[in-house]
Amino acid sequence: MFLARVVGTVWSTVKWRNLDGVKFLVVRPYHLADLAPSLSVKSSGFSAADGVVVADILGAGVGEDVVVAYGHSARMALEPHLGDGQLPTRPVDAAVVAIVDRYEVGVEGEDDPDSSSN
Amino acid sequence: MILGRVIGEVWATQKHERLEGAKAMLVARLRRDGIRLVPTGEVVVALDNIGAQTGHIVTVSWGSGARAVFSSPDNRDVLADAAISRIVDGYSVDEAGAGIDVEHTE
Repeated sequence: MFLARVVGTVWSTVKWRNLDGVKFLVVRPYHLADLAPSLSVKSSGFSAADGVVVADILGAGVGEDVVVAYGHSARMALEPHLGDGQLPTRPVDAAVVAIVDRYEVGVEGEDDPDSSSN
Repeated sequence: MILGRVIGEVWATQKHERLEGAKAMLVARLRRDGIRLVPTGEVVVALDNIGAQTGHIVTVSWGSGARAVFSSPDNRDVLADAAISRIVDGYSVDEAGAGIDVEHTE
């Protein structure tokens, strides 16, 4: 999983039929340089090159921070009511699993953690 | 699995029901640089149920390996694709070719 900022949305008309009704977002993963600059070996920051398209059924909006899961967890997140043994049907490999209220980053050697909230 | 250093924690009220009660940690991935471990710059979110804290070096397991950390016979899989699987006490690095073995204890 990774922490990311929602920066946009994606629309499409022609798509796999099981994707009707699923919203797609563009997110940018946070790097160490964004969260704890003093720990980072080089400055990376947000980069236009690393946008990820993720499915969302929680209702996240642009500007919010989210946790994104990959793979099986992403597919199960989109179909929460599947019974045991039923396989997911949507061709998705990344999905929002949580909308972040707050995260806190502590840097070793500092008593007061460097906090951030959203 | 990867090695990482716990750098913080994430809180969310709006989340998938199969993540209820799980603690989510921010983990900075580490790579070997000579005989030291240094951050790669990548940060992952990993669930934790073994009590890892900020500053700990940990291993993170992916995919079904991550879900295995949380599974129990009467509990459906937690929606995790990354989980902290151990807190590292020490590690040794063999710098290939240089014949240097260095052991570290956290």
